[in-house]
Amino acid sequence: MPRFESDICIIGGGISAALLAQKLSELKPGLDIIVVEAGKRLFDLENRMNYRRRSILYGENPWPGDFIEDQGGEGIITRTMAVGGSAMHWQGHANRLSEEDLRLRSMYGLAVDWPLSWVELEKYSCEAERRIGVSGEPSPHAEDRRTEPYPMPPMPLTYNLAQIRSWAERAEIPFYGCPQAKNTTPYDGRVQCQRCNTCTICPTGARYSPDFTFQRLLAEKKIKLHDQTLIRRLIPHDTTSNIVAATGMHGDEAVEYRARQFVVASGYAWTPHLLLLSQSSRFPNGIANSSGLVGRYMTGHLFITAQIELNTKLYPGMNEPFPLISRQFFRCAKDKPFVRHDIQIFESNAGRRPRLQSEKGEILFGDDLLNDWRAKTARGVARVRMYYDTQPSRESSLTLDPETRNRHGDPMPKIVHRLDEAAEARQAATHQHIQNIYERIAKANDTKILNVQASNYQDHPAGGCRMGDDPRESVCDSFGRTHDHPNLFLAGAPTLPTGGCTNATITFAALTLRGAEQIARTL
Amino acid sequence: MRRRAMIQSIITAIPLRGVRVWAQRASFPGEREAALKELAAAVLPASLGREKTDAVAVQFIRWVREYRAGAEMQPGYGFTRVRYKGASPAPRYLEQLDQLASGALAERDLTARRNAIAAALRAANVKDLSSIPDGNYVVSDLMSFYFSSPEANDLAYNAAIGKDQCRTLKDSEAEPAPLKGGSGAAL
Repeated sequence: MPRFESDICIIGGGISAALLAQKLSELKPGLDIIVVEAGKRLFDLENRMNYRRRSILYGENPWPGDFIEDQGGEGIITRTMAVGGSAMHWQGHANRLSEEDLRLRSMYGLAVDWPLSWVELEKYSCEAERRIGVSGEPSPHAEDRRTEPYPMPPMPLTYNLAQIRSWAERAEIPFYGCPQAKNTTPYDGRVQCQRCNTCTICPTGARYSPDFTFQRLLAEKKIKLHDQTLIRRLIPHDTTSNIVAATGMHGDEAVEYRARQFVVASGYAWTPHLLLLSQSSRFPNGIANSSGLVGRYMTGHLFITAQIELNTKLYPGMNEPFPLISRQFFRCAKDKPFVRHDIQIFESNAGRRPRLQSEKGEILFGDDLLNDWRAKTARGVARVRMYYDTQPSRESSLTLDPETRNRHGDPMPKIVHRLDEAAEARQAATHQHIQNIYERIAKANDTKILNVQASNYQDHPAGGCRMGDDPRESVCDSFGRTHDHPNLFLAGAPTLPTGGCTNATITFAALTLRGAEQIARTL
Repeated sequence: MRRRAMIQSIITAIPLRGVRVWAQRASFPGEREAALKELAAAVLPASLGREKTDAVAVQFIRWVREYRAGAEMQPGYGFTRVRYKGASPAPRYLEQLDQLASGALAERDLTARRNAIAAALRAANVKDLSSIPDGNYVVSDLMSFYFSSPEANDLAYNAAIGKDQCRTLKDSEAEPAPLKGGSGAAL
């Protein structure tokens, strides 16, 4: 069986792994770093324009081969498994969480506080934005203060978004362009955004994806990347609590990795999954699980979306993936019922698409169809989405599903999200609060709400190995170091105790970069 | 013996069928190109002009020829299984074009043609246009193909939006310019 030895073995090849490897290689030059990823490396920027074209024309996967057929599970939000992870196809929304997210217990008596301060996290958020390359403008709220400017100027508001902003601000809610992991100027060797309108498959490389970081690290010989290698077990030392090896399969061949430090950076699903799979006689509940909390407190946030008509013409297609954002409701007065959410507004073509039949049921052809379509274009539509803060219960879980197994016989994960009692109890009030805002915006403009839809899944999932100071109530500390195994760290999304109320990729990255410094100190 | 002959015929029929589908896709629409162009002229905006509707028909032919059966589909959020594109629609389209050529498209008058095509759409239980051709019916798929295009979007809005075309950030703050020649102009 091939055995590979290194100073540090990073299991998983997503955005956390990329940034961690990059920072460790800077902090400790000459460090022997191996990154092991189950999926393939998709380092073919030159083909992305064609993948994008086929995605638009045929609905084909714009990232062909970015999955493993039998490596899936119930409740997993995306099948992506490739070097770069799900950040290969993210929209690039680079929001920050806020101080409230870290202090829910002390401020509102909800869930738990995170085991680090906002000031501390903010410093690493700046670093994450620098490394990723974020364009943005500062929030107008004093509470969102920053210690560094955004690395790039903000994405210009399109004509559509400028109209929408004027429209939405009549309801006295301030909006600004959502920070984007997209280049508004050439940055870090990548080109300026060309507004291709398909950010989930950026054909130019203007939107950051971790493959760029990995390729650079490989070119500089700072890491070794073992892709298409599935780690199936972490092996503890016979007598101590150290991890001595990670074992898995490269194709049909068994492989083993030995390292001084191990980091599991496999995201919210596959990190707790690997820890639970690694059961042994000494650790019958899996690795790092003396608290029984591996695979517990799976989190994220729910959302509600409305399509609201404007009384002005818009031109759908100018830059559909780029929204406005408001952080007006990130704060909640302590003497009011708890509700926290963002507001993101996108240009939309809802109800403005060509249709085959008129309202009378007549089939439309040619210019009749075109004129029917034109008649609907006089008034634009905005898609208004609000991600709202919910807290998970202990029963919000990832478990091993014996009914679904991969080719190696390993049970696949099953995720079932559950809100805690307080979050469940205020669901109706939260929905009403959000509905009131929709009505407020529509009323301020004398326009109408076309439809409102509540989500049936948790978006931007995280959790499953929550961090904390108390080993009885958490899996790892604020650096991601597991309480049970001194040489085993966890990175990024799974360590979040709660999911906040906006996109959290920057926070995953910030926590990872902070953890990197602690890992470097141990080497 | 009879059983062996039957199995042999199935074995030989499978690759032959595969070859036939491949040939139908590669040479689509074969002798039915004129019918497809007539169909395009009947269901697309006459204001485009015949040259343009013929050009859309040719682009649709390319779309059919470059269709890849079995290609991975966009996964979408929450799908636990990978999905794959179905078989090439070329054989189905050819059958449908045959029927249309001897039916609806045999009508000389445009109104009569459209009435017959509308009846065919109803018979095929087509209710609306999909965002991309779904491979079920050649008429609605040709219409979906055109009406989901950036060109049609520009025409509907009478503006040079250029949806899904890579553009610069420059000028994105300006209202898109009206199309030259007005909203009824051929592209």
